[in-house]
Amino acid sequence: MSEKPLKTDEQLIAEFQNGNENAFVELVDRYKDRLVNFVYRFLHDMTDAEDMVQETFLKVYKNKHAYREIAKFSTWIYTIAGNLARSELRKRKRRKTYTMSALSFDDNEFTPVDPGKDTEGIVFNSYAGEEIMKAIYALPEPFKTIIILRDIQELSYEDISTILDIPMGTVKSRVNRARLKLQETLSYLKE
Amino acid sequence: MQNTDCTFICEQFTEYQENSLSSEIRAQVDSHLASCSSCLEIFQKLTGVIETLHKLPTLKASSSFNSTLLSRINTLNQETVWQKIYHSSYSRVAGYAIAAGLIFAIGINILIDPIAPMKSGTQSNFAGDKINPNQPTESLAAISDSSANHPVDSLTLQNSTITSQNQSMQLVSGKK
Ligand SMILES: [Zn+2]
Repeated sequence: MSEKPLKTDEQLIAEFQNGNENAFVELVDRYKDRLVNFVYRFLHDMTDAEDMVQETFLKVYKNKHAYREIAKFSTWIYTIAGNLARSELRKRKRRKTYTMSALSFDDNEFTPVDPGKDTEGIVFNSYAGEEIMKAIYALPEPFKTIIILRDIQELSYEDISTILDIPMGTVKSRVNRARLKLQETLSYLKE
Repeated sequence: MQNTDCTFICEQFTEYQENSLSSEIRAQVDSHLASCSSCLEIFQKLTGVIETLHKLPTLKASSSFNSTLLSRINTLNQETVWQKIYHSSYSRVAGYAIAAGLIFAIGINILIDPIAPMKSGTQSNFAGDKINPNQPTESLAAISDSSANHPVDSLTLQNSTITSQNQSMQLVSGKK
């Protein structure tokens, strides 16, 4: 058997729209790790992150015809996952029961880290890695999202611009400000 | 003035690292970093932060991810299928009830009409007419039968849809 060329995401979603469920599973396999990685940075909890990614795929499954070929499949699915993750964060903030004592920043946007949950099941290469995770989790929006998209997911400025629906120039300046803010937060955490 | 300058320089760091600044601005950043220790410190820390970010471990979805998703999709499909069954059988039953009612009314008319000539008509026509009164009854029976049978048919049909969906997904998840 000759090797088949890898189908693009857009070909797969088109096949799924035409009723081929194998194409959907192929997309799940392509994106599940990336999306878990993405959503985890927001929620800091593996179980919640997986659940949110499942929700994302269920949305794709239910609304497959909402996808239009004008957009890249990746930006579409990242948008869905990002929106779900952020709305989950907002929900958490509303029913926040734990105190802000662990991280007391000036900015009200900061969300406290639950130390019992943050690194469950994950072994970090270094202490710095764990520290940086906490700092990302503590970053206010829109910095958090932009850091996750650019520096963890390593998406292009163009894709980020599509996902967040903001101009490229704004993406670039926000990436820069987010990095500075993150570095500031890290220094603060170290003190 | 020094302050504005520092802010401007810090704003360029990302593009500086990505080598996308104009040579003029790049030279400006270079010379500023050579003379401003606070900006240089920020720049160095920033570089370290980005390096660490890029080295963060890649997380993986759990091994049960696909099977959990599959069962959630199957639940979803069954819900939708059952909703469809509910709606279609409901509308079918309503449709058949109306149809049955109409045909019953027509049947009654036909039944009554042949009776009328039977009463007033000649005997010779009776043999031929005898069949007529039976026909509407037969068709009525057929209708009431079909109103009972069709929703069952649709159920079977819909059930087979569920099964085929399940099978395709199981097949798929088995492939993984
Ligand atoms: Zn300076």
